[in-house]
Amino acid sequence: MEGLKICHLYPEVLNLYGDRGNILCMKRRLEWRGIDCTVEELKLGEKRDLTQYDLFFIGGGQDFEQEVLLEDLKSGKGEEIKSAVNDGKTFLCICGGYQMMGHYYETYKGERNEFLGAVDFHTIGGEVRMIGNYTFTTGEESGETQVVGYENHSGRTYLGDGVTPLGNVIKGYGNNGDDGTEGVRYNNVFGTYSHGPALPKNPEFADVILATTLEYKYGKRIELEPIQDVMESKAHESVYNKIMSGEIK
Amino acid sequence: MGISTILGVTACKATRGLLRIAKRGGTTVPGRAAMVFDKNILAKVSENMDTIIVTGTNGKTTTCRMLEQALSKSLEGTDKTVLANKSGANLLKGVTAEFTANATFTGKPKSQYAIIECDEGALKQVAPLVKPKVILVTNLFRDQLDRYGEVTHTLEHIRIGIEKVPKATICLNADCSLVSSLAKDIPNEVIYYGIDCPYGDQSDPEISDAKYCINCGTEYEYDYHTYAHLGGFKCPKCGYKRHATDVAVTSVDKLTAKGTELTMEFSDSATGGRVPCRGNSDNEYKRDTGPVPLSRKQEHVLVGLPAIYNVYNAVGAICAYTAAGFERADIIKSLAETGTSFGRMETFKLDGVDVQMILVKNPAGCNQAINYVTSIEEDKTVAVCLNDRTADGHDISWIWDAEYERIAEDDRIKNIIVSGDRAEDIGLRLKYGGVDESRIEIVKGWDNLINRMKQSDNPVFVLPNYTSMTSLRAPLAEITGKGEFWKG
Repeated sequence: MEGLKICHLYPEVLNLYGDRGNILCMKRRLEWRGIDCTVEELKLGEKRDLTQYDLFFIGGGQDFEQEVLLEDLKSGKGEEIKSAVNDGKTFLCICGGYQMMGHYYETYKGERNEFLGAVDFHTIGGEVRMIGNYTFTTGEESGETQVVGYENHSGRTYLGDGVTPLGNVIKGYGNNGDDGTEGVRYNNVFGTYSHGPALPKNPEFADVILATTLEYKYGKRIELEPIQDVMESKAHESVYNKIMSGEIK
Repeated sequence: MGISTILGVTACKATRGLLRIAKRGGTTVPGRAAMVFDKNILAKVSENMDTIIVTGTNGKTTTCRMLEQALSKSLEGTDKTVLANKSGANLLKGVTAEFTANATFTGKPKSQYAIIECDEGALKQVAPLVKPKVILVTNLFRDQLDRYGEVTHTLEHIRIGIEKVPKATICLNADCSLVSSLAKDIPNEVIYYGIDCPYGDQSDPEISDAKYCINCGTEYEYDYHTYAHLGGFKCPKCGYKRHATDVAVTSVDKLTAKGTELTMEFSDSATGGRVPCRGNSDNEYKRDTGPVPLSRKQEHVLVGLPAIYNVYNAVGAICAYTAAGFERADIIKSLAETGTSFGRMETFKLDGVDVQMILVKNPAGCNQAINYVTSIEEDKTVAVCLNDRTADGHDISWIWDAEYERIAEDDRIKNIIVSGDRAEDIGLRLKYGGVDESRIEIVKGWDNLINRMKQSDNPVFVLPNYTSMTSLRAPLAEITGKGEFWKG
């Protein structure tokens, strides 16, 4: 079977909070099943044909570095990303990378930054950061899995009518701390505030993303061989129990 | 002096005494007790002392230890003494407790000098009260993000702290683009220190906490690297670049597990005296702009601690020490005998098993520790401990940015143990780093970990983060007959 090609977008800018862990997780879980996987980085100023990739990963970043990025998107790369989204390519977008896919980000002071507009939602800056361990369950079309993670954002994200949330918050803030939604699912775009290593501790969710990517690539459902997720389950459970018991916030 | 000061000092001393009877370090509660009676008691109990404050992400404790040892030694035979917050309690309450406990009941300081490590976020509270003579900023790395948000926010906290004490001399690490940017817009006198020559692998670091120019967002170019984002950076667009150093390492001559031999140069107008930057592209020193310094004295320096980050600690310590007006010869002599401090490369003999504890708090420090452990060419056990308490940062995502892969690659590591509140997370990180999960032992509970270490056939290297270090060190020190930490 031809392997998957992952494109890591802006790894030199959007690499906050251990995002490497997600790439590493996807790569290993494919390799353990004998599926080849190559990861290519696409940095600022670099142009390449995006149709060759199966999965795009966009991480979170620091504020002052994000400005650099908006300029690069305007150079045509933004349009290519939008086409890939509409074609049904898989995207995993975390935190700042998730916000970037929406229409705009309005700061707390009312300044508006136009973002990519690839998915119908927007984000408004809040005064207080929403920080802590949290847990949510993904929706039906995203495998109905339970996810534990860590969120740290001041932006409050509000979804448009045409898109569904990635999941529902069990404990924590999620998109905006009000409506109980977390992240976004649109076509094969998975957006979430669960930053850093969102996937290793959530192997079922990781496999949903990989299966979605393989299904698009081969035009049919491909069953992933099960993996002995011993350490994964232990890590997931220990954090889940701590969140639910209130031992950690 | 008012009654509130006396009450504050009394409350502080009393709670500290009680906590120590109860065998608890008790480093912040007494400070809180003192502040109940006098909110700004710290200003009183530190009045007229000559103080050096050390802040920055990594190296605070070790640098303070270097400064304190040199100064104490030079004061031998005099009636003067130096105060230091050796326990590492470095927020306002902890610093207040340290000063207050060492004052007379009327609030008069008993020591003439103080060496204080201060949390980056607490500097703006501590500095205006203590009025330091010198502030040393070591470096800035990603650390405990949930406490400060981002590295640039931490930088802002430090800047505010410095601006509140315009008379203090500021010692900055010239090799850290984040730290050295502090010089802009502050009224203080600034002295720069750093390593003027390349060290180690010169490829671009895989992880950089400061890849883009803090002024204009353009990617930095480097004449050379030392480690992580430290080195000879320059912005090709706006021209922001590494500043010339006043206290500099010009070559790292020998680096072993026991210590490091360096050649250093000092510009000799004592505390100021800028010298032009020495870029060293083409392996050849080239003078940049400006006049050749009148005298740049060269000296050989021996640092009694391993690893490149301790070279930075030593150079920073020399810089701050001389900036405060003390004799350079004294600290250079003392550095050769520097011992390890509290959990930083500290060694224990546990039932015949050699145990070395290396505190790791962030990816940059962790990579350096892994570098050190894997460079030791003998069979060994590695124990990684991870807690997620407030002092550690609740967010442990950073473990995915550290290069644990190198632990998997070192076949001299015979046993791998994980422990702490988040043992499973670190176990998972090691699994994805290439360690077979059947090899990873999860040992919960510090007493259990100590018992497991006793059974090790090989020396044990323990890599704990902050609160796992303090919790493990206490019983370990007791069993091995080491002192409690507040006794230094």
